[in-house]
Amino acid sequence: MARRGSAIRKTLLFVLALVAAAAAWELYKAIGPEDGGSILGWKLLPRANDVSMPHVWDVSARLLDDESRTSKRPIWRVVLSGAWYSFRLALLGFLVGTAVGVALATVMARFGIVKRGLLPYLVISQTVPMIALAPLVVSWGGKLHLGSWEWPKWLSVAVLGAFLAFFPVAVGTLRGLESASATSIELMRSFAASGVQTMRKLRFPSAVPFVVPALRLAAAASVIGVVVAEISTGLRGGIGRLIIEYARQASGDPPKVYAAVVGAAVLGLAMAGLVTVFDLVMMRRRPPAEELT
Amino acid sequence: MTEVGASAVPAVEVTGAGKVFNPGTTRQVDALVAIDLHVGPGEFVSLIGPSGCGKSTLLRLVANLIEPTSGSVRVNGKPAPQARLDQEYGMAFQQAGLFEWRSVVKNVELPLELKGWDKGPRRQRAMEMLQLVKLGDFAEHRPWQLSGGMQQRVAIARALAAHPPLLLMDEPFGALDEMTREHMQAELLRICGETGTSVLFVTHSIPEAVYLSDRVVVMSPRPGQITTVVPVDLGSDRDLDTREDARFFEKVTEVREALRGHEVDELELARGIGDV
Repeated sequence: MARRGSAIRKTLLFVLALVAAAAAWELYKAIGPEDGGSILGWKLLPRANDVSMPHVWDVSARLLDDESRTSKRPIWRVVLSGAWYSFRLALLGFLVGTAVGVALATVMARFGIVKRGLLPYLVISQTVPMIALAPLVVSWGGKLHLGSWEWPKWLSVAVLGAFLAFFPVAVGTLRGLESASATSIELMRSFAASGVQTMRKLRFPSAVPFVVPALRLAAAASVIGVVVAEISTGLRGGIGRLIIEYARQASGDPPKVYAAVVGAAVLGLAMAGLVTVFDLVMMRRRPPAEELT
Repeated sequence: MTEVGASAVPAVEVTGAGKVFNPGTTRQVDALVAIDLHVGPGEFVSLIGPSGCGKSTLLRLVANLIEPTSGSVRVNGKPAPQARLDQEYGMAFQQAGLFEWRSVVKNVELPLELKGWDKGPRRQRAMEMLQLVKLGDFAEHRPWQLSGGMQQRVAIARALAAHPPLLLMDEPFGALDEMTREHMQAELLRICGETGTSVLFVTHSIPEAVYLSDRVVVMSPRPGQITTVVPVDLGSDRDLDTREDARFFEKVTEVREALRGHEVDELELARGIGDV
């Protein structure tokens, strides 16, 4: 009962936050300087004119309109199908990244020498800019031929999503695997549990509360990875490409860019929702947060 | 269960055992020196002493969680490593250490699961153990829904699930309040009486050691060694009145003085160093 009540409250809060964001946008448009402004000589205030910040209702109306004079499909359908295309790539990247992250964490937790050798490189891997990496992955993939099978470009994009997603999972899972108390480990030893048994019955379950927030980060990272990779590899069909395409028309049709951005936000929300479902399933029998102490 | 208690094989046989941590370095610590310890079948023996006297280290040697530097450790007639693999003992710590992701009954099943028991017999045995600690109604609860004393009872049920002839306990009631603690002590005596389990029990409470034990082993630190063994002949059916008994107080005094004797040595030692 309490759970259902809090679910309703959470949904209400979510809607309220959306309304508040829209209200803040319109409030700034009403009082902000048309051509931007400076604070103490720094150009900080964004321009509030209709080109830079179209009205919320203009963006909404544009979503229902046709895409262009030549294409009669309404924009929301174009944006949604782009978001769906990117969602599938992000999901693939997220799943691959999660699998790789958990596998790396398991090996690192099991063998201290692997952890000491590998962990610094994992940290460094995340400092490589996506923009630089994307063409490399595409060209490496292009050299792969397995019989008649050729490496498609969309797979490179998913791999780049996975490249950003695996890191929080690896770090979070590693911390989780190491979170089992010394007493619990002695207990397993006193029961003559094998290393594999200790991993399965103690370390993995102990890691779950650490993995769940790591997956949230990974979901967001995979979306960012895929959108940026779509742009930098020039892959058509996804929301990243759509944002770039519509941005070129920004001066003549400003709400159109924001229509694509709304699509990207929906994509991010879908991924976050997926992780929330996982969270609820995995944590349903855990102590409520206030009783963790 | 009781046939084990009736056998003549000693539950614990420690002979000339020593433990040195970080040998050959500047941080070398002689944790235990020349320890001889014997726990008979069905016997309840407490280890007591100031912190740093190595009582927990000795318990861990018996449990084969650490290896002795010298001497031998046998449990139920077997070398300690073999005894651990055969689950000749069950163990309970100060923290109940229940797995929060398992129900109470699944926690008790854990050691049986690790041994590869089938689901049916496993559940049946776990339920028996929960009834033994009077928590049969809480089988499907989550550990975090129970009080500290109840959690500790689940931990004892878990330790006894595989019917080991020996129970090793490291200050299991140390985190409980006084009332719960006395209740748990009476419960522990009842459970051991019913199952014939031998117990090696680490504590730093003198009344607790006297109330529970057939013998109290007094230890002293630097290096950790056994100084005195106090037999406690209060009979086997001890109840709440036992704590009011004059003989109980005599034994408490005796253990306290055995612990003090060591304190005096410390003082004299300090004085001796001062003179130099």
